[in-house]
Amino acid sequence: MNARESTDLVIAVDGENGIVIARSQARALARDLGFGMVDQSRIATAVSELTRNIVRYATGGRGEVVIRDVINASNRPGIEIVVSDDGPGIPDINLAMRDGMSTSSGLGLGLPGTRRLMDEMEIDSGAGRGTVVTIRKWRR
Amino acid sequence: MARAPIIRIGEVLIATVQEDLNDQDAVDLQDELNQQLERTGSSGVLLDVSQLKLIDSFLGRMLRDIATGARLLGAHTVVVGIQPAVAVTLVELGLELTGVYTALNSEKGLQLLRRLMASERARYRSGNERSRIH
Amino acid sequence: MSSGHEVETNREARTIEEQRQTILELQTPVIEVWNGILTLPIVGSVDTARSQEMNEALLQKIVDTGAEIVILDITAVPVVDTAVAKHLLETVSASRLLGAEVLIVGLSARTAMTLVHLGLDLSGVTTRTTLAKGLQLAFSLLGLEVVRRRESASDRLAPDGLDMGV
Repeated sequence: MNARESTDLVIAVDGENGIVIARSQARALARDLGFGMVDQSRIATAVSELTRNIVRYATGGRGEVVIRDVINASNRPGIEIVVSDDGPGIPDINLAMRDGMSTSSGLGLGLPGTRRLMDEMEIDSGAGRGTVVTIRKWRR
Repeated sequence: MARAPIIRIGEVLIATVQEDLNDQDAVDLQDELNQQLERTGSSGVLLDVSQLKLIDSFLGRMLRDIATGARLLGAHTVVVGIQPAVAVTLVELGLELTGVYTALNSEKGLQLLRRLMASERARYRSGNERSRIH
Repeated sequence: MSSGHEVETNREARTIEEQRQTILELQTPVIEVWNGILTLPIVGSVDTARSQEMNEALLQKIVDTGAEIVILDITAVPVVDTAVAKHLLETVSASRLLGAEVLIVGLSARTAMTLVHLGLDLSGVTTRTTLAKGLQLAFSLLGLEVVRRRESASDRLAPDGLDMGV
């Protein structure tokens, strides 16, 4: 949906090491954008959760994480991360967003928790057609 | 990769969790701790996470699992050094660190461990006395 | 990107962070009333943003002082609904992760009824009706006792505080 710009940071995830790389890159950009320590932690954790889903559930543990800075309609700076894969997809997004399937039980995709950490989250997915999760956080 | 060294001081095993710990390192740490607990019969584990700038659901579960495993092997676990930003994020993430004792730093953590180990011994002793009276 | 530019960005980011911290501390008056005991009076409504700021300032104070007891005074919080209760529970949980136990004081009868009706699990939370009672509990948890000194002649003071020496 968004045109790929030259300032985008693209991380090809292929296995577990992608998790650490993606979250530290996200934290670095968040820091440069002026986010406080707690927000940096929130953003890094959200990216960690989503990237881990790629490694756990996507075909071959492969996917992509794109990190970019954005500006909203009111000129507020923010960070946007798009996590995508060609895996089996989420057949029932509503179910996945229900807290019963959250991080505490160890099952599920940790999506409700991730949603709580960020300001915006969009999920584009369906059975057999991969998953694209977009998250955004705006500077206060 | 980054191997967390485990030090033994008296009855306590102390492990400092390195930053940028990946999933496999976390699993290795768990295994190593369990093995050392079995080998040494230590009754306390101090996990220093002060270097972690992030604790996500996986690491949170790892801490819980370490505490559970240690309990089965006869040891209490205290996690110390959770950074404020990490604590806030953990709580917002909704991860409950049930069964995990926490303290601010190593000093307080060791104090807590000593208390836990002492009250355990007291319970054990009084339990024994009760059975002897029968 | 030259290394000089990176150093500049890091320094700016640090300064912004320090300024933010200062503002946070000024807005959230955490007081160390005794060695190891912090009190935080909450005045007004508690929305998500305010709660997050509060937690940040409180946790930083816990780190700075090593306090093991936090007394959260909600006397001046007008409405305690599900959202506010959840925020308070978050404060309790986060403080516990840093080794501090939280006592909530200042509950009114109406608040108590509201919380009971909401059916939230507040079993892990210790509460008292007043700050004084909370302080009493805090002292006993820390193994402290307030004892009246035995009165002697030299303890008798004139109204303006001068020793009478009677």
